[in-house]
Amino acid sequence: MMSSEFLYPVMIDSDWFSSQLDVGFDFRMEEELACELAIPFTNEINAESLAFESLKVLPIQLSQSLPRTIGFAFPESPQWTAPAAKVFSKTADVSAGKIPSESTAHGDASDSPQSHKSLTRIRPPGDLVRLEDRLYYVLQPPLETIIQSAKLTFPFQPFPYQMEGIAFLFPREAAILADEMGLGKTMQAITAIRMLLLSGELSSVLLICPKPLVTNWMKEFRQWAPELPLAVIEGDSAKRNWIWTNPQAPVKIANYELMMRDRDVFESNALHFDLVVLDEAQRIKNRNSTTSEIVRSIPRTRSWALTGTPIENSVEDLVSIFEFLSPGYLRDDMHLKSLGNATRDFILRRTKDKVMTDMPPKLFRPAELELTGEQRASYKSAEEDGIVQLSKMGESITIHHVFELVLRLKQICNFDPATGASAKLERLEADLEEVAASGQKAIIFSQWVSTLEVLGERLAKYDPLFYHGGVASNKRDGVIEQFKNNPKNKVILMSYGAGAVGLNLQFCHYVFLFDRWWNPAVEDQAINRAHRLGVKQPVTVTRMMSLDTIEQRIHDVLEEKRELFNNLFSETGTPQNLGLNQKEIFGLFGLNVPKYIPKAA
Amino acid sequence: MKDGMEANRHNKTISLGFVSVRHHPVHGFFGGYLIVNSLARPLEFHCTLPVQPTRSQQILYGSTLCEFVCGEQIARALIAKAKGTPQFVFSDTCAVLTLRHMQSIPLAAIEFPLQTDGSLLRPNSQRTDYFRFKAGGKQFSVLPEFACDSESLKKLFDADKPPIDLLEPFGRIEEALMEANPATKVA
Repeated sequence: MMSSEFLYPVMIDSDWFSSQLDVGFDFRMEEELACELAIPFTNEINAESLAFESLKVLPIQLSQSLPRTIGFAFPESPQWTAPAAKVFSKTADVSAGKIPSESTAHGDASDSPQSHKSLTRIRPPGDLVRLEDRLYYVLQPPLETIIQSAKLTFPFQPFPYQMEGIAFLFPREAAILADEMGLGKTMQAITAIRMLLLSGELSSVLLICPKPLVTNWMKEFRQWAPELPLAVIEGDSAKRNWIWTNPQAPVKIANYELMMRDRDVFESNALHFDLVVLDEAQRIKNRNSTTSEIVRSIPRTRSWALTGTPIENSVEDLVSIFEFLSPGYLRDDMHLKSLGNATRDFILRRTKDKVMTDMPPKLFRPAELELTGEQRASYKSAEEDGIVQLSKMGESITIHHVFELVLRLKQICNFDPATGASAKLERLEADLEEVAASGQKAIIFSQWVSTLEVLGERLAKYDPLFYHGGVASNKRDGVIEQFKNNPKNKVILMSYGAGAVGLNLQFCHYVFLFDRWWNPAVEDQAINRAHRLGVKQPVTVTRMMSLDTIEQRIHDVLEEKRELFNNLFSETGTPQNLGLNQKEIFGLFGLNVPKYIPKAA
Repeated sequence: MKDGMEANRHNKTISLGFVSVRHHPVHGFFGGYLIVNSLARPLEFHCTLPVQPTRSQQILYGSTLCEFVCGEQIARALIAKAKGTPQFVFSDTCAVLTLRHMQSIPLAAIEFPLQTDGSLLRPNSQRTDYFRFKAGGKQFSVLPEFACDSESLKKLFDADKPPIDLLEPFGRIEEALMEANPATKVA
């Protein structure tokens, strides 16, 4: 019961005192209360010496006011539209696909206290300032509850780190999901999109990816969000225009190449997307490129970038991606540490060794090989001649001249141009015999289609398949399916350009890098075609390198840089993949960069 | 089948209230009140500024101070400010139950064995004569003079399963309290 008034007897009658106050009220408390009420207190009062008439009672009013409150109503109170309701069913033919079996609704709403440890909470982004906005996200139920109540099913239960990734994307207007390749960026993005669409927080999404990955994205959408209709931007100009403006499909998928042709669509400002997602966002690392300009011009509310390598060559790559996310937020001249601090809340980067502790490891097996005699002779001659020619060019030398020599020497490291001798091939043949004998399959990467073709002839007994830029894009999925399902095809020969991104080849446990790419990030992407989620066995990666050649020099420079950037970014967790710059390429032959050469794009 | 549909419809219109009070050793008492819909999504949230009992209150209310501050002051203020009227209000501390004398919505405290890890502590009531009962697999307490609330709660859980996880929203309230009062966050 609430007490509103307390009668403080200034002159106390002992009987009255005992009958009115039933709380334990000793003199110490009485004294404190007197102080609190600012009434002079004396323990010299002698009740017996006072006449009853002299008793005075002072009413002390206790405050009736209640504590002050702050209140927030969420009037929109978005309702989840369960997939079973098939809100988009009128256009569901677009997404017709196999609906995965209902393996699980993650996170039973069991209310055992233990189950709370695995709940994934949505955190407000750091750039949200208003308390009301922040509380809106703080007060959302955990992802597991949302999934449960919306009756969302998944083909398999997402890993906890994937739930964290979804919770990271969910509230953000600008975000980079930069997980290492193979950790499921696609699934995390699709699930976040799915949840935002079903909650009514989004109604139109545009996903832009490299052209070869469009079919892969469609497949992943069908697997992870089967109820969402998709529209792929394709066909002739009239058809594309119709698809762009078709409001029926909430998710549209376009490729970067096509954006160039359809740039007019955005110039009118008639289209607006609630969310634009860039897959392989390193595609816009050059902010002056047309692709980057077009992508940045798309009217949108939210901007997400997916990339395993937000920094491929320099921090400018990251600044360029931020020009899409939040123009002007970063500057090229920012110190690394302040760059790290400024971007921390926008980037989520996890590596396999951190989150997939039970994932089979990648086993690197360097194959450092001496050139055959024929190769060595050709190599020596080509290098000496090349350097002499470069030196003679004086100030007219360009980076392209240096590149030409590097490429010529690297090709000799693969095959002797005169005899076809190859130390790498000898080693590869020996290794493949073992791989095939154990019933396994192998991916072989090279940067040249011509090298792949030679390998195709020499490795004919393994029925190799080809996956490179020369293979028509509409046939590529068939190649992958055949490699996966046909036991005769033991080997797939891939170019870094075509096969480094977006493919799932985790059934393959051997990867050979026949020659080395300029940038370890691209090599990592290639390796991670096989070493990704779902892989059951360790993946053995054989990096072939010819000793005492240009390959070793490039390797040494890249390793040195990797170490340097490991140190620089260790505090921020920013990825550390960097390629060769102009100075380093000239330095491969002990040459200096001519002063007038413009910076390479 | 019809019963199932009825139950489903019933669930869709349901809203539940969760009132929580936390104590910070330096800043005092904080209260939060969250109303959610049947899908556990937030409809309303109210929180108090920190409340420090005066010395007179401490002396006057003695061992019942906690019930007074949590139930009669904080929870009362929160419920009074809410626009929505949930079917049932849950608390994670019995200290709030005295609120029931001042409002008509059924109110029960859920037995919540876990103490929070952070700097905000769940106040404990000294009172021991609560009416305790089980429903939906959980242990609840109500004021003995409002034992009828136990029947309301059991009706709410027709299927012997609460429509949502009844413990989880208190975690949200605690985070929201810390968000609204950053000084209470553990460094």
